[in-house]
Amino acid sequence: MTGIHSQRITTYFICFTLMLLVVQGCSRSNDIQAKNDKGKLQVVATLFPIYDFTRTIVGNRGGVSLLLPPGSDPHSFEPKPDDIMRIGRSSLFIYTNPSMEPWAARIIKGVDHKKFEVIESGTKVQYLKAANDGDGHVHNAHDGAEKIDPHIWLDFDNAAIMVDSILAGCVSADPANAGYYVKNATALKKALLDLDTRYREGLALCETRTLLHGGHFTFGYLAHRYGLSYRSLSGVSSESEPSAAAMANMVRLIRQSGAHYLFAEELLSPRITEILAAEAGVAILKLHGAHNLSREDFQRGATFIGLMDENLANLKKGLACRTK
Amino acid sequence: MSHEVVRVERLGVSYRVGQVLEDISFSIEAGDYVGIVGPNGSGKSSLVRALIGLCTICSGSASLFGVPCSRFDEWGRIGYLPQNLGMYNPVFPATVAETVALGLLSRKRFPRRLNRHDHETVERMLEELGVSDLKSKLIGELSGGQQQRVLLARALVNEPELLILDEPTAALDPETRERFYRIIADINRTRGVTVLLVTHDTGAIGQHASKMLYLDKRLLFFGSFDEFCLSPEMSELFGEHSQHIMCHRH
Amino acid sequence: MDLVEILTYGFIQRALVAGTLIALLCSVLGVFLVLRRMSLIGDGLAHVTFGSAAIALALKLYSASALLVSLPIVLLSSLGILKLTEKARLSGDAAIGIVSSVGISAGIILASVGGGYNVDLLSYLFGNILSITQEEVFIAAGLFCIVMVLMLLFYHELLAVTLSEEMARVSGIRTNLISAVLVLLTALSVVLAMKLVGIMLISSLLILPAASALQLARSFKACVCMSAIQGCSSVIAGIFVSFVTNLPTSATVVLLNLACFGCAFLARYLLDPKRSN
Repeated sequence: MTGIHSQRITTYFICFTLMLLVVQGCSRSNDIQAKNDKGKLQVVATLFPIYDFTRTIVGNRGGVSLLLPPGSDPHSFEPKPDDIMRIGRSSLFIYTNPSMEPWAARIIKGVDHKKFEVIESGTKVQYLKAANDGDGHVHNAHDGAEKIDPHIWLDFDNAAIMVDSILAGCVSADPANAGYYVKNATALKKALLDLDTRYREGLALCETRTLLHGGHFTFGYLAHRYGLSYRSLSGVSSESEPSAAAMANMVRLIRQSGAHYLFAEELLSPRITEILAAEAGVAILKLHGAHNLSREDFQRGATFIGLMDENLANLKKGLACRTK
Repeated sequence: MSHEVVRVERLGVSYRVGQVLEDISFSIEAGDYVGIVGPNGSGKSSLVRALIGLCTICSGSASLFGVPCSRFDEWGRIGYLPQNLGMYNPVFPATVAETVALGLLSRKRFPRRLNRHDHETVERMLEELGVSDLKSKLIGELSGGQQQRVLLARALVNEPELLILDEPTAALDPETRERFYRIIADINRTRGVTVLLVTHDTGAIGQHASKMLYLDKRLLFFGSFDEFCLSPEMSELFGEHSQHIMCHRH
Repeated sequence: MDLVEILTYGFIQRALVAGTLIALLCSVLGVFLVLRRMSLIGDGLAHVTFGSAAIALALKLYSASALLVSLPIVLLSSLGILKLTEKARLSGDAAIGIVSSVGISAGIILASVGGGYNVDLLSYLFGNILSITQEEVFIAAGLFCIVMVLMLLFYHELLAVTLSEEMARVSGIRTNLISAVLVLLTALSVVLAMKLVGIMLISSLLILPAASALQLARSFKACVCMSAIQGCSSVIAGIFVSFVTNLPTSATVVLLNLACFGCAFLARYLLDPKRSN
């Protein structure tokens, strides 16, 4: 009996050891890749807008990686060991603000050798409050930190301020290339200014000025800036479930406003939006919040400005805007 | 004329911990009341469980009503009452009537439905065992003795030819136990049901059973109670004194 | 808000119909699962569905065709849970825990190996009771018919196996078959209903109505009926309450069920001294 027993235990340990060896073998391959970019400025960015801005500023003088895997929801994200190691090797870690990426602070705390600088790119921007029930009245954020609308990049002035913060970080981390970074940042800010002009012109003369959105509260900044009134189905959290009353309200709003289109958010399942649109008899248009990209978009090299131009085209269609 | 209800030949049963039964051979005739006794861990339960396919037979053979146990499917001819040790969830919501009615399923084919006639049969059975007042109680609410009588009703309701009981009195007080044995003996006498009763209570069962089967991994004794009392092997095993006490209580 | 007006919305009508059907079948299945100590099988199988959806996406199958991958995997896992309880000397909760954590970690690893997706996986997996389409109402109805017919056909066998597997076997019931039917029906319901109304609702409808019924039922038949009544009335009431109070619908249904359970528990507590003597 003991013979059988010890045999079984031995078999168990052999299997376990073999498994460990296999796992070990797999993990080796990762280290080699990392060595290639040594010496250059290494930046880890949490969300797509930051990633895109940093990529433009740094150009070919450094490497930028996006922390959030394509397709995942930025409001809830869990890092892999490799992510932590990537952050540990980098010299800059850039995120938006604690309410957009509540997990960022925890990740930073968890990294052992903090030789990197942390940039909160959203420090100097003008924050707006988000309507928790999505009723769209946008206020300046003076009180109640938890109701801040974190999607600051959708106000292109804020985007420019974020570019400045990122630039400052890059320059202090890698002063040797300061001139190159400043040049790129200036060009990027110019592009953002042009984008703003296109929006102002594009959205100047529209039949409806109500932006009806069948997703979570995202486009507060955009609506505020271009004088649209914004109604989203649910509040800031992408996980909150809409109530039956909120859905019925939205249907009534669509009918009352006489809109022909309902806007849907990217990445998340469009089921609810589809149901609302079908109920109210309108069509759906996509509006990209640019938190994160789908894998396809990522691979085709989509840029923030490119996405925003697509949004503008959809907005002009959805709100029936005339071009001047 | 009597015919063989159970036939066991060179039966062996083993679990992962080792052999629990080896080289058991005996046969039981219709109308017998067999008490299966032996010390704890002697394989009594394993023997009856092997007969009804609840544990696998390693060697030898066993048959019920002339059919090898592995192919046996006339479950309507068998009534089974298992050990009652924490088998029931105390909040199980089935009533006594619902529980007893399940005993009728063995005589039915898919789709198994119960009709009014079946419900009458159940009521008759409950009456016969003197538990008809418990009919709409939940089985979890009953005392141990009441529960065992209800389960006996379930085992008997399909009018089996062979009743197998596995330590049915383990959780009962001596008085209830004695009453229970009498009920079984009565059923055996009046209905001619063959009974196989596992117990560790050698003395008490001896008064009712027509045959004794003494097990301790191997079959140590098989015969009538009187033979059991006279058997020199048993004297050796128990000592003269204990054997005397066991056998002379009646 | 006018209660009659609520009924004019198509999505409310569909929520009521499909929700009631799903609630009925979940709460009936739930009685057997809770008594067999497999209450968490809903959650467990949801995690397996997550894993299988990752496989489906890796194979570039989306929405409807993803079911072709998920369904067999989830059905097999449910049988796996059953086999683990039978062969590996494990209780139902441990077996469910193993299968469920393997399911979700397989999904996470596949997602990581695949380098991300085009969509947020979870939001596609889990539906919402307010976003049921016309075709899905038919799916719910079909599922309801399948589950209810099989439950009726096997009612006595299911009761016997749940009460005592050994005694059921000696009554000539093929207990393995019956257990398999139960977990397969559960798996089928979880996979299909999850896409319709979300996993939180499914999981709670499998447990809470049965748990309340167990407090008060005076027979097994009554237990099944009470569970079914609580299940479907909580969905109907939940939809209306969530409309009036402007709260998320599924969560409202769950809380209503909890309230029912509380009442049932209290009622039993108050009645108990009389009953036990």
